Amino acid sequence: MTRPNPDAVSLRGIVKRFPGVLANDHVDLDVGRGEIHALMGENGAGKSTLMSVLYGLHRPDEGTISLHGKEVSFGSPAQAIDAGVGMVQQGFALFGELTVTENVVFGSEPTRRGLLDRKAATARVTELIERHELRLRPGDRVRDLPVGLRQRVEILKLLYRDAGVLILDEPTAVLTPPETERLFGVLRALAAEDRTILLVSHKLQEVLAVSDHVTVLRDGRVSARGRTADQTAAGLAAAMTGREVDLDRVHPAGTPGETVFEARSLTVPGVEGKPLLDDVSLTVCAGEIVGVAGVAGNGQAELSGAITGLLKTGGTIVLNGQSLDGLSVRARRDAGLAHVPEDRAEVGSAPTAGLRENLAVGFHRKRPLVRKGFLRRKAIDDHASAIIEDYDVRASGPAAAMGTLSGGNQQKAIFGRELTHDAPFLLVEQPTRGVDVGAIENIHARLVAHRDAGHAVLLISAELSEILALSDRVLVLFEGRIVAEFTKDEADQHTVGLAMAGGAG
Amino acid sequence: MSRVRLIAVPVAAALVLGAILLLATGTDPLAAYGAIVSGAFGPDGIGDTLAYAVPVAGMATALAIPLRAGMVNLGGEGQLVLGAISALAVGLYVPGPGPVKVILALLAGVVAGAAYAALAAVCENRLGVPLLISTLLLSYPAMSLAGYLVRFPLKDAGSSLPQSPQLSARLPEIDGVTTGIFLVVAVIAVYAVIDARTPAGFETKVTGWAPRFAAYAGIDRPKLTLRLLAASGGTAGLVGAIAVLGFPYRFIDGALITPQYTWIGLLAALLAGASPLGTLLAAVFFAALTSGGFAMERATQVPRELTAVLQAVLIIFLAATSGVFKRKAKRA
Amino acid sequence: MIDASLFSSALTALTPILFAALAGALCQRAGVFNISLEGSLLVGCFGAVAGSWYTGSAWIGVVVAVIAATAYSLILAIGSIIFDGDPIVLGVASNLLAVGLTSFLIRTVFGTEGSFSDPSLQGLGQFGPIPGQSLLVYLSWLAVPALAVLLYRHPWGLRLRGVGERPEAASSLGVNVTKYRYGVILAGGALCGLGGAQLALGSVTLFAENMTAGRGWIAVVAVMLGRAHPLGVLLAALLFGLAEAFGFRLQGIGLPQQATDAAPYVVTLVALFLSNVKRKKGQPA
Repeated sequence: MTRPNPDAVSLRGIVKRFPGVLANDHVDLDVGRGEIHALMGENGAGKSTLMSVLYGLHRPDEGTISLHGKEVSFGSPAQAIDAGVGMVQQGFALFGELTVTENVVFGSEPTRRGLLDRKAATARVTELIERHELRLRPGDRVRDLPVGLRQRVEILKLLYRDAGVLILDEPTAVLTPPETERLFGVLRALAAEDRTILLVSHKLQEVLAVSDHVTVLRDGRVSARGRTADQTAAGLAAAMTGREVDLDRVHPAGTPGETVFEARSLTVPGVEGKPLLDDVSLTVCAGEIVGVAGVAGNGQAELSGAITGLLKTGGTIVLNGQSLDGLSVRARRDAGLAHVPEDRAEVGSAPTAGLRENLAVGFHRKRPLVRKGFLRRKAIDDHASAIIEDYDVRASGPAAAMGTLSGGNQQKAIFGRELTHDAPFLLVEQPTRGVDVGAIENIHARLVAHRDAGHAVLLISAELSEILALSDRVLVLFEGRIVAEFTKDEADQHTVGLAMAGGAG
Repeated sequence: MSRVRLIAVPVAAALVLGAILLLATGTDPLAAYGAIVSGAFGPDGIGDTLAYAVPVAGMATALAIPLRAGMVNLGGEGQLVLGAISALAVGLYVPGPGPVKVILALLAGVVAGAAYAALAAVCENRLGVPLLISTLLLSYPAMSLAGYLVRFPLKDAGSSLPQSPQLSARLPEIDGVTTGIFLVVAVIAVYAVIDARTPAGFETKVTGWAPRFAAYAGIDRPKLTLRLLAASGGTAGLVGAIAVLGFPYRFIDGALITPQYTWIGLLAALLAGASPLGTLLAAVFFAALTSGGFAMERATQVPRELTAVLQAVLIIFLAATSGVFKRKAKRA
Repeated sequence: MIDASLFSSALTALTPILFAALAGALCQRAGVFNISLEGSLLVGCFGAVAGSWYTGSAWIGVVVAVIAATAYSLILAIGSIIFDGDPIVLGVASNLLAVGLTSFLIRTVFGTEGSFSDPSLQGLGQFGPIPGQSLLVYLSWLAVPALAVLLYRHPWGLRLRGVGERPEAASSLGVNVTKYRYGVILAGGALCGLGGAQLALGSVTLFAENMTAGRGWIAVVAVMLGRAHPLGVLLAALLFGLAEAFGFRLQGIGLPQQATDAAPYVVTLVALFLSNVKRKKGQPA
């Protein structure tokens, strides 16, 4: 396909600095009208920064932005919105307490005699929903909507403001494969209306499937660009990471031993009679990684809460022959449970405290860190140093605040802490979310080594490729139930993906 | 290094603002400030400063203890007063030799304060009423109870004021400063050691840094809340008991409230991040400012409330700049 | 025991708390935790008395009260918005400042200590059919639906609620978060000014040190009980006002004043338990 109208969006020589990092280093980007353009790169490559410059969240230190050949400068998102640029950010900018309509018109409300004109708002929103087949109900409260529908509300916001340029930041992170397909359908229809779509993504398969052109950023600079049809997955991965990457590395299977962990009939009630976790049973043996696949929001949080004791549930759990029912979080940990949580910033660490203190948590009640009732400073230091070195945690020192470490290093530190417990059972959630490819390989290798040392590992991840790479057995969680189980050989993208969307038998 | 600068700027700003206020009332700011300093630390004034420091540092520590875990005890006044009135009751009615009565009175104060604060903790743990609210709401009935007791059953029959008879059981004084100061210092020392060197202190700090992280790590929040609140109320009750066992050796309605010990103590604890040493220093500083204010009034006829104003202005500036400090740390 | 004058005195007791609680609710909606209501009311009281004394007009006193309390609320506004200071510290410090400042001023301006009153000090006077109520009482009741309309039917209210729930999201949609935060804090200050004026010039006409006696804190509790909704806040404040008025009645039959002083707090605490228990029952595990 030839480029119909060059310069629908044109960024030239964009430079953006933050304290200590050059996020964008003289970046050029050209996007044509009616084009779906993918912007790829690892975490920290500069793609989100570049788009926030385009959206007016930041002013560039150098460089120009042009829309349809006219140079523009945005001091705020409001100005970008007025110019027809809209952005759907990761994590969404939605108000749970407000309805779909209220969210869509927020900031640009129709009024009649000074007050909100609800009728006009609802009418306009309904019209847009129908025209683009988004299948939403204007009166629903956003907090009641599943993630896939929330994303549609975000797109609806852009359409309400008649955005000619739509930026989507990692839109498929929270969608099932079929929902992703539907999203792509919507995007293609919008592109056919001559709207310009900028898709920020690190997912190779999706970029190859839906985009017309692609630009790859690495370390703040453009490392590759061109027509999508001319690219290969391996080539793009290499452009993102700067080296050859083994894309579909599947780790060898383990040799399972005795059953270490057994959960029976775990249930968490929900609202309106629909349980959040529905009679879930599973077992994990020593030397085995059991992977729980599923799109976020299908009961993973409840499963994790049930196992760790942070949530009260029905059912029973037995760890190494000991019943965990009714036991506190601390008691379960003492019984042999280690846990790498999904949210490393809010749950897995104390960002304002030092690395040393973070690593001491969980070990602070017993020897060797405690002797005769007092904490021993040297023991705490030694403990921290050992983990930092062993797990290759890069930080300015053990006293560095945990929050100042990069995502990958924080995760390595948390891994180090939890694995050092040498607990028979490890529950690990979303281990590589927001982590660079290099650190991902490191963490995966650690998990496999941990398994091979005889521990039982339960892995919950929304990244299907990660599940397939690591698991000896794959379970699929859908709407609170285990709907499918696969052995390592049986599991592949297609069959598991289908089950994740509820399409299992 | 920049921490020093962050304290110096608000102090300077408060001094300037205070100077403006003073000039507006026709007073020489330098003379007034000089009077404050010599009043606070001079040979005559240091006794006053220490006397103020006892309740302020005591209350500051009482409030710092739960604050270290991010828990705010707004019921300090009620616990303080309950401790005082309990100590008084024991001192008046329990038979025995003087020293024994004093010890029992002190214990009564601690137990009363601890139990009342623990009640608020139970409200949060079992009934879901936030600590901020339960401690605050319980404070007023406690003060009312003390007000009633001192006007009826425990009233000094010979006086028309709402005050109790004088106690014969008393804490000895040194140069006008109650020996209760050693008890307060002991509490601060114990707090400092527990905070820095024990697993319990560590868990408290972790809870303050990141509550969800603490729960994930197995720290039992309800138990911690109960223990911290009990310690907090017990310390406040101790301060009340010490007050009643010192000059004028009686309970006078409102005498522990009007000087705002509790609120000044709360602010000292907040500004110091509830650190044991920092809280003590801040409390002593505020106490010095207050006693210096009395001296300034005697010397220059400027009302001593000015120092209260100065104090508040200083705190406001400190609060504002602590926000700047927070932001710089975030961006690092 | 329960008769018209019980309600009448409840109404009067209620008004300052209602104004302060509405102020707190508005701030809460925008995500601002405002516990400087106690000090705001006190500053309003002083401003009202000073204004009325020097001009001979109670209503100019009201205007002065509003200006004073609004200016005072700038402390919280600037401290928390520009400097990102801790709102709890700022709130408690502001309250202390109000106590110290008004005590300082009562000496330097009026030359007395403790309290200031004078037979020629103009009060707000009677308004309307119900005895003992001033115009401000009716204004406070009007403020409830007015604020409800503002919050739920006006674009400002929608944006305010968005700012309170997720400021970054609101900001990314072009809404100026800072403007709304300033707005609610200053508006809250003005409301507290009205509350202070009612307290100092309504049924009595005097200023006494610390005369707010915890009403600002009760307003904080009312905001939580009423879930920051104007109507909910009214009901919570009404509960408190009734409990206080009922308490005065109990004094009439011989219960000590202190018991009736304590009654409203106990009643509010019990109400909180009950509302939490009810909420917990509706929730799963």
